[in-house]
Formats: sequence, structure tokens, C-alpha cells
Amino acid sequence: MDPYLASVLTNMTLIAFLAISAYLVLVVGEVSFGQQAFFGIGAYLTASVTVLADGHVIWALLTAVVGGAAGTLVLGLLTIRLSGLYFAISTLCFAELLRFSLLQTRFTQIIDGRKLGPDGPEGFSNIRWIFDNHFDATDFLLLSVTCLTVLLLLLFGLARSRLMLQARMVGNDPILAQSQGLNPTHYRLGFITLSGAVAGFGGGLFALFNTHIEPAMFGVMLGVHALTYSIIGGLGSSIGPLIGVVLDIGLLESIRQLAAYRMIVFGGLVALFLVFRPEGILSHRLVARLKRRWGRRHV
Amino acid sequence: MFSMQGICKSFGGIEVLSDISLTLQSGDRIGITGANGVGKSTLINIATGFLAPDHGWIQLNDLMLTNCPAWEFARAGIRRTFQSSRFLQTATLGEQLFLAGHAPEYRNRLADLLDHSNLQSSLHLFPDEISLPLLRKAEVVRGLATQPEILILDEPSAGLTADELHQFGTFLNQQLGRKTALVVVEHRLDFMAIVTDTVVEMKLNQGLQVRAD
Amino acid sequence: MNTLQTSLDGLMIGSTYALIGIGFALVFGIMRRINLAFGACLLFGASLAIYLEPWLGWGVWGLFLVTMVGAALASAYVERLCFAPHTKRTQSMTAMIASFAIWMQLDEISSQMLPQRTHAYDGLEMPTFWLGEIYVRGDQLLHFCIALISILLLYVLLYKTRLGLLIRATADNPETAYLLGVRVPWLGFIIFLLAGILGGVGAFMILSADGYVTPMFGMWSTFKGLLAMILGGLGSLPGAVIGGLILGIVETHAGASLGAEYRDMVTFGLVFLVLIIRPGGLMGVKIYRTESLAQERI
Repeated sequence: MDPYLASVLTNMTLIAFLAISAYLVLVVGEVSFGQQAFFGIGAYLTASVTVLADGHVIWALLTAVVGGAAGTLVLGLLTIRLSGLYFAISTLCFAELLRFSLLQTRFTQIIDGRKLGPDGPEGFSNIRWIFDNHFDATDFLLLSVTCLTVLLLLLFGLARSRLMLQARMVGNDPILAQSQGLNPTHYRLGFITLSGAVAGFGGGLFALFNTHIEPAMFGVMLGVHALTYSIIGGLGSSIGPLIGVVLDIGLLESIRQLAAYRMIVFGGLVALFLVFRPEGILSHRLVARLKRRWGRRHV
Repeated sequence: MFSMQGICKSFGGIEVLSDISLTLQSGDRIGITGANGVGKSTLINIATGFLAPDHGWIQLNDLMLTNCPAWEFARAGIRRTFQSSRFLQTATLGEQLFLAGHAPEYRNRLADLLDHSNLQSSLHLFPDEISLPLLRKAEVVRGLATQPEILILDEPSAGLTADELHQFGTFLNQQLGRKTALVVVEHRLDFMAIVTDTVVEMKLNQGLQVRAD
Repeated sequence: MNTLQTSLDGLMIGSTYALIGIGFALVFGIMRRINLAFGACLLFGASLAIYLEPWLGWGVWGLFLVTMVGAALASAYVERLCFAPHTKRTQSMTAMIASFAIWMQLDEISSQMLPQRTHAYDGLEMPTFWLGEIYVRGDQLLHFCIALISILLLYVLLYKTRLGLLIRATADNPETAYLLGVRVPWLGFIIFLLAGILGGVGAFMILSADGYVTPMFGMWSTFKGLLAMILGGLGSLPGAVIGGLILGIVETHAGASLGAEYRDMVTFGLVFLVLIIRPGGLMGVKIYRTESLAQERI
């Protein structure tokens, strides 16, 4: 496959992780502007394990997952009494605080004559895993897509279980949820932590793919974009965020000459879209209707 | 079995409930009626944990529930309906009714209730595609399937015609287990007559002692 | 003496934050919405001012006027597209996300008008002078006075006019606001216009004091306004003023003692702490609606 196309698709896949991460928080009825920070933490952790500790990539990605989850768990516990706008702003502050911490993190070591490690604003360079393991663009795309597919399958499984619907109830109508004996805090914390794990994993892959990461890459704009993809794609299914990603990045790539105007067009489109279809493309009702139709066909 | 004693509640300096007490035994059927604004909703909210009382305590069997969150009340076996039949608009009725569990006794009881309630054919519909009388029944089914200790109905007559109300009352009588206590907060006395044994009237700022004897 | 100097500088800067904070607080206090595009509206106004300057040739007062008008127009546009269609209580997040989309759009439009990374934004040539051992910049002092006057004018509008009464009554009872919203559809429009005007004034002050505008100004001012509002208490107008002033003072002190890098960190840290410990902000705004069924959070 053309390496450029492969890298565009890989980019889409990695951002999809972040978008799904934002989606998981939306499920429980909250908005997070801070998922990008856990994406960044995952990236730094994976880079550190592969470069500084010379660890196996599985450990590296596992560390990213745990790191992301831990970070969001801390945030979730601190903000346990907050919701709505207050929660959203707190996620923004938390994310920026994490990013600043990354900006101050300098832990370089001389390995094989090269200075490696996180170096404050300069970031973390020479994440050579894909070179050392002979992963070209197509190989990595395959890896990313496989991981994303596994994640989506896991989430579908979650959707089939009652957990997802219960979480949606908590998010949509907490009073109803409580009257059914559901403890909203458990679902909130659970899904928020899960969202961090997903973001961390995506960040880990991102570090490997990009070979260079720096704090500036994980700013608020990245997170809010991911959030937008989630909302546009629709909250009815875990595929929704992916649709949003494909739409925007696809738009960006297809009108390259008008790249500058892309934001003007996309921004306006999103706002207009929300006027007419606020639930996003794959809304719950649409998904349920589709399921109904397919169900009947199988019967 | 269930006891609320000395319940007082004020909102911003206005005392809405003063010294309310309610005792229930298994199988009691009590109606509470009263003019608008007399504090019926507040009473329900406190009895189901959605509001905490300023004074007084709440006990179910040997569980002290005062100041517990609403979900603990529900878990303990106190279920309620809402004035506007609360359901998620983005999931089918079937999905929502089966939300509460996989346990075989729940499933069996639910299947039993569904058979008797005419709801089988509506399970694949969204709540806004279902008629109000059926929705009210569905709410009751949702509550009764868990075989609760207490079921509290909040103005179930709203929006129902006299016939529908009668039918609903009959359904309720048939499906209510012998052990479940029922509290109906309502102003339609004809409905109360069908489903309750005792009716008490709440008056503004007067204490209320309810014990079904 | 150094502390006093820093505090004074902080107060001046804080007054500009206060205006932007008021812009947010007006929208949130009355409509329970957050306009994420607000900073971008200000950037748009400033960019428009610089873009049109060669044709208008009105100098600094031209910049002031166009910035203000541009910000107000952009704000009105945002209201029509992102907020007017989503007036139900459950749609507050939808409106916010739509406003974020327009933030991106306005940011891009502004970049088109200002292709370079930094553009000069002329300020007023004013004398600087000493008050004892304190050094005061004439233009900042003037800005502070303008901010004061703007806030006073807002006060007069809100408390001494019929429109103001309508606005305050709506803010007092958001439930009624949605009912009123049906009959008074232009109320939101007016609020956003007001916010745009005040924000535009604040933006002018910040930019002319700095002497330049960059594409980051949109995000930067959004943060500042949001943080000022949160510090003071979401939706509280006096809170936004106090929050803005405190933000300015804390920030300037942090910058002076810890350096520019840590300055922003301190700001975010402060706001995060406030949210965790006292989400109602300094004015103790209630974040729960206690009168409704169960404690429904806002």
C-alpha cells in the first residue's frame, strides 16, 4: 500500500482511540475536555518502556493502559461531586496540569551514545521501535487496525451486556437510574477509568508510530476534536466516533488544496449538523431501528 | 417492616413536612391523598431516598436508610413510579425491562407479569411509541418484577381515562404479591378504592400518622 | 513595595479578564450555557480590525470600534447558529459542542485575515508615571477606567432599565427562562450581543496593552474568561468581576515569582482546586437545584 495512504489511515485509527475514549465518558453523561492528556501519558509511558527500559512492546502498551486508567481514576475520584460544566472544566484544568508536568519532565539518559528520554518541551525523540522491528507503514497500519477492531469487539460485547445500557441510563437520567438501584458513582468511575485505559493505549501506539512526541502535541485542541468526532459520529454505537474521525480526516485529505479552509467548512458543517441532527449520525434510535430490521430478517 | 418517623422537611425556610410518620407491614395497601402543594411529592421523595429529611429517620426491616442515597433505597426493595412514567427514550421497552437482571427468579417473574399485562407486543417499541396506559403498566411491571418490599405509586391516574384507570387498578390488584406493601399517592378516590384498604389525607403543615391497622 | 507593584499590575490585567469573564457569566448566568466560541469571537473582532485598518485609517479608535463591533457580530452569529436552535435544558451540551465547532471556524477565518503569526495591534500612546515607588502605565490605567465604566454601564443596564429587569428575572429562574424563551426569542440574541461588546472592549484593552495579536488569542481569552467565571462562581456577574481581578493578581504574582512557565500552571491549579473544594466559586453559587425532584445537578 502507498505509505502515505497507510500513514493517513493509521492516523485515523489512532485518533479513533481518543475519540472512543471521549465517547465512553459521554456515555455516562459527562463531557471531558481532557482525554488528550491520558493519550499523552500513554505515549510517554510506552516510549519510556521501549526506549529507556528496553522493554517488550506488550509491556510498553500495557503500561500505557494502566497509566491512562490510573490517571483518569485519580481525576474521577477528585471530581466525584462534580458534573456537567463543572466536571468539563475540571477535566480541562487537570489535562493542562498534566501537560505542564510533561513539559517539566526531563529524564534523559545516554544510551549507545545518544541522549534519549523525555526532555521537557523538546519532547521524546528517537522512539525507534518500528525501525528496530522492521515495521513499515503498512505493517503498522495492520497492527493499529487490529487493535482497534479488538477494542470495538470488546465494546460491542459490553453493549450486549446490560452494563452499557445501565451506564447510558446513569448518563441520561440519573434519577431513573437510581430508582432502579443503580449507583451512578460506580458507573461514572468505571467508564471514566475505562476511557483513560483506551486513551492510554491509543497514545502508546501513537508514540510508536510517530517516533517523536512532545507535550505540545497533546493540547486541548486535540481533545476537543476527539470529542467532536464522537458527537458527530453519534452516541448510539461505539463505531460512531470512528465515523466522525473518518469524516473529518477524510475531508482534510480530500480537499488538500483547501486545507486552510477545511476548518471553516468543517466547523460550520458541524454546527449546522447539530441543528438538524443533534444526536449525531449513529443515534441510539437509528441503531435500534437498524437492529430491529436486521433482527426481523434473521427471524 | 417499614417505618418513617418524625419526618420534617423545609425548603428555604418554608416547612413542607412537619412530623410525618408512616409505618407499613407486609401486604399493606395504603392511599395518601391531599390537595396540591401539601407535600405529597416531598413525602414520596423522602420515602424513596431522593430527598433527605431534615429530621426523623427511616427504617426498612433492620436497615437504617436515613440519609442513604436513593439507589440504596431501591436496592433494599423500595420501588416507585413517577408522575410522568420515566423511561429512557433511546432504548426499547424490552431492553429497559430486562435491564435489571439475569437472575432466573427475576426473569420468571418478569415473564409472568408481561404475560398478564399485554405488554409482549410492545417490547420492541420505544417508549414514545407506546400508549400511556401501557406505559404506566410497564412501570409497575418494572417495579414488581424485582419483588419489592414496597411499591410506591406517584399519581398514577394522571393522563388516564376512567376506564383505563379502572383497568389499571384491576391489573395492579392481580399482580401485586401478597408480601409487597403498596402506597398510592393520588387524588382520584375511585382508583384508591380499588387498590387500597386505607386512605389517609395529608393536610398542609399538619403532622400525619399513618399506620395501617 | 514589589508586592504592591505586582498586585497593581495584576489588578489592571485582572480588570480586562473581568470583562471577558462577564461575557461568559452573562451567557451562563441567564441561559445556562457556555459559549466556547467566545474567545474566537474576540479574536475575530481584533483580526477584522487589523484587516480593515488600511482601508478605514481610523487609527487606534478604529481598532477599538471594529474590535468591539466585530466581536459583537461574531457573538450574535454564534447565538443564532449554535444556541438559538438548542434551547431545551437537555441540549446545553449540544449547544456547547456546536459553539466549539464555530470556535474552530472563527479561529480559521481570523487566521486567514492575519496570515502572519504576529500582528501589531496599536495601543494608545500614553505617558507612564510614578506614584511614589509604583510605576504606572498610563494606557493600562486608562484601560482600567474603561473597564470600570463598562461595568458600571452594565450595572445601570441591568438594574435601572426594563430590559435589565427582564434579563435578571430570567436569570433568577432558569425554568421560567425556557418558558420565556419561547415568547422572547430575542433575549438570547441581546445577551450574546452584550457579551460580545464587553468582551470586545476587554480584548481591545489586552491587545493594545500587549501591542500585538497572535492566533492563540482565541483559545487564550476563552481560558481566561472561563477561569475568571469559575473562580467567581459560574453565572455570577459580580463573581466574574472578582474572579477576573483575582485571576489577574494571582497570575501576575505567580509570573513574577515563578516565571512565565509556572504562571499558567498556577492558574489551572487554582481553578482545579476551587472546583474540587468549592465548586460554587467565591460567591458560593449553588451547583445543585435543590427544589426539584432529588438533587438535580445543574
